[in-house]
Amino acid sequence: MTADSSSVALTNEQQTAERREVFQYVLRRFGVYLFTLWAAITVAFFIFRLVPGDPMNILLGNITRAEGRQRDAAEQEVIIARYRKIFGVDDPLPLQYVNYLRKAILGGLDLGPSFVEYPAQTKDLVFRRMPWTIGIFTTSVLLAWLVGTGLGALIGWLQRSRLSQLAVVISTLLQITPVYLVALGLIIYVGYTWRILPAGGPYARHLQPEWTWEFISSLLTHAILPMLSNMIVIGAGFTLGMRALMISVLGEDYLTFARAKGLSPYTVLKDYAFRNALIPQVTALAIIVGATLNGTFIIEVLFQLPGLGTLFVQAMGLRDFNTMQAVVLFSIFAVLTLTLIVDLALPLLDPRVRRTA
Amino acid sequence: MRNPSIIIGLIMLALIVLLAMAGPAVVQQLLFPGERPGMRGSYRPYQLDSPQHPIGTDGDGRDGLMVFISSIGPSLQIGLIAGATSTSLGVVIGFLAGYARGRLDTLARILIDMVLVIPTLPLLLMLAAYIERWDLYKLSLILGIFGWSFVARVIRPQVQSLRERSYVDLAVLSGENPLEIIFLELLPPLLPYIGYVFSLSIVGSMLAEAGLQIIGLGAGGLPTLGFMIAKGFRESVIAIGLIGQMLLPAGALIYVFLALNLINTGLDEVFNPRLKTTIEGGD
Repeated sequence: MTADSSSVALTNEQQTAERREVFQYVLRRFGVYLFTLWAAITVAFFIFRLVPGDPMNILLGNITRAEGRQRDAAEQEVIIARYRKIFGVDDPLPLQYVNYLRKAILGGLDLGPSFVEYPAQTKDLVFRRMPWTIGIFTTSVLLAWLVGTGLGALIGWLQRSRLSQLAVVISTLLQITPVYLVALGLIIYVGYTWRILPAGGPYARHLQPEWTWEFISSLLTHAILPMLSNMIVIGAGFTLGMRALMISVLGEDYLTFARAKGLSPYTVLKDYAFRNALIPQVTALAIIVGATLNGTFIIEVLFQLPGLGTLFVQAMGLRDFNTMQAVVLFSIFAVLTLTLIVDLALPLLDPRVRRTA
Repeated sequence: MRNPSIIIGLIMLALIVLLAMAGPAVVQQLLFPGERPGMRGSYRPYQLDSPQHPIGTDGDGRDGLMVFISSIGPSLQIGLIAGATSTSLGVVIGFLAGYARGRLDTLARILIDMVLVIPTLPLLLMLAAYIERWDLYKLSLILGIFGWSFVARVIRPQVQSLRERSYVDLAVLSGENPLEIIFLELLPPLLPYIGYVFSLSIVGSMLAEAGLQIIGLGAGGLPTLGFMIAKGFRESVIAIGLIGQMLLPAGALIYVFLALNLINTGLDEVFNPRLKTTIEGGD
């Protein structure tokens, strides 16, 4: 409020200076973003390489099992050597790293072949699985945030009523329940015991992906439980978070003052309490992204959805570096980018967080 | 500390700690004198509930109740060690980053963001698959080390926002040195928040551990509540009718989380009296 009124009185010169400052902040933040992206990818690359265990032996084991006959040692050597060459694991580690970055950046995200579905490209594999993860993740998080923020603001505002106390108890119980327990509960009871909704697989088994009503409705009904598991837990968290923020904002002096001025309760709620409580709530959205992505991976595995989490678990079993790394790369990129967006949006909401170096 | 939430939370926590410590011995004495209920193959597997086996036997022929009772301790230990590790690391780094301006802040922020975005679950899964035998401390420390970035990430903006308030300017003007400002001006209002974050970290670590188990690549053979749930799900114990073997460990996890949550809420009210006056005096 003070910031708004004082900005009116700013001279032209001050405005230019302020604009330059904002521009510098955005530029610096973007530089940090790129650096962090690079650093995180690098750390991930080396962590994956430094753990012991040769993926080639596992690959060979799979080939042997598939063919049902044991090869002699010389033949095994030849096969292993061939695959090692294809996957480029013979080079020294620094060279592998440089090659990896070069191909990933200049080669149009060429992340090498995958073991999981050899010879499919890792890139294609990830792009094919990505929509599942993104779909479940974004839909459930956004819905949960909207519902939770609204509900939380309301409960915080009506803090003394019975109904809001009940809502607090219920959301507390839901929030502390791990998302996979909610998922397990839904699978066991809604899916198998009561048979209300399907609880496994992306769509009914006899269907093919196509633009028909039957397929789409099957897709949607299969998506309800996974999304619901995510939404229940995250939504309850957002509700409680927003409520706490509202209550602490309601204790601030400027709110007492606003009431004393005789402003209508609605104005106080909307312009004074809600807006100030919203700032940390937006930050909370950014923070929850990483954890929720983890939760989404687990949900995919439990509901047998062909998303990135399931892909990772498959790749894990084969020590498929390329695929595991690609999934991690995707997660890093997603979390970083969302954090960047929130950080850039934050100064717009809160004049206090202004970079004055 | 006469806050009812804290007291109830602490009592709940004390009860489950007691159960974790004394439970196995008591169950052994009362129900299975002279037997080995926790040994594989002691009984016929998948027996339904009976006076002898209150929640049946599991797929390995152990008594379900005994497995449950002895799983509580490891779960709690993991949460505590990992939570303490990540909170202390995170608070120090968060304060440094939030208080410092300029280059140090940028550096710390890059570090925090970097660790924060490296997705923990895949890495934990990978470590879990590579490390043959997990011991409890190894797992706790790793969970803790993966968790600090979250703490730092939420503490930093709080410190930053507080630092911009006028009462801190006043303290600077009146000649307090940075340490005084951090410990006298910035830390006290954030204590409930730190307590809250600590409790969240405990919860987060226990969650991550159980999640690892449930996704099926769990820490090889650590007998925790998560392991019991995962095993129950894989063996469809509910379909067999052994509901207790899923509900008890799941309930115990939720119970611990609830206790921590109550302590949390209470801490918030004690350290931040405004919360209470608002609740009592607000219109």
